Amino acid sequence: MSFAAAPSLLALISNNSLSAGYVPFIYPLPIWNYWPWLILPLAAGVSIVYKAVKCQSMSTVPKEAATIFVWILIGMLTASAALAGVVKIVVER
Amino acid sequence: MATRDLPPPPLVALAGWILPGSGYWLIGQRSRGITIGITIIILFALGILVAGVRCVEAPDMQAEGSIISRVLQRPWFLGQALAGPIGLGSAYASDAASKSPVYKNIQSKSRIAEIGTLYTAVAGMLNLLAIIDSAHRAGNHGNR
Repeated sequence: MSFAAAPSLLALISNNSLSAGYVPFIYPLPIWNYWPWLILPLAAGVSIVYKAVKCQSMSTVPKEAATIFVWILIGMLTASAALAGVVKIVVER
Repeated sequence: MATRDLPPPPLVALAGWILPGSGYWLIGQRSRGITIGITIIILFALGILVAGVRCVEAPDMQAEGSIISRVLQRPWFLGQALAGPIGLGSAYASDAASKSPVYKNIQSKSRIAEIGTLYTAVAGMLNLLAIIDSAHRAGNHGNR
């Protein structure tokens, strides 16, 4: 599933699979088709903590964390594209 | 940065393990502590929310083999335990869920389980980073 085709979070919340019987923190979230989006909170968390540790002044953390967040996403997208290329060229040929 | 007497680094490190970010709070860097603590707790909670509490599993210490081999059966728990009591409490809850007649069959598999494990272990390792930094700052008058 591509990022572009992934439905919105609103659609996930209104999904019936989140209704009766679901117990938060016990049952896994029914997000089988949305998992690539989970890179966003993880990258944001790593960026915030890393820059909060590294920066001398906390006032510079938001801008620094936003910058490194974007760089992490660019790096992950590049790595995924490269690995997808390896699979296409080497494995599937 | 302040040059007042700060708590000893081991105490700051212990506080940081017990509650993520509280090591910074002890040395007077409250906004840093709150930022780091809330982020780490959210990451850990998000991992459990995504994959269920059973993504946090402590090694079976009753199993055969050396302690090292038993720990290496679930090495990611080392990272999860670094998040502090929330990691240990989650492992306890996970063990209870695995023995519960209602929830024993509820366990995430494959990619979702991996993502939950990744979130919780990364949260713990980020807490290790914060523990080391806050303890170092405590021994260096609050400076890096």
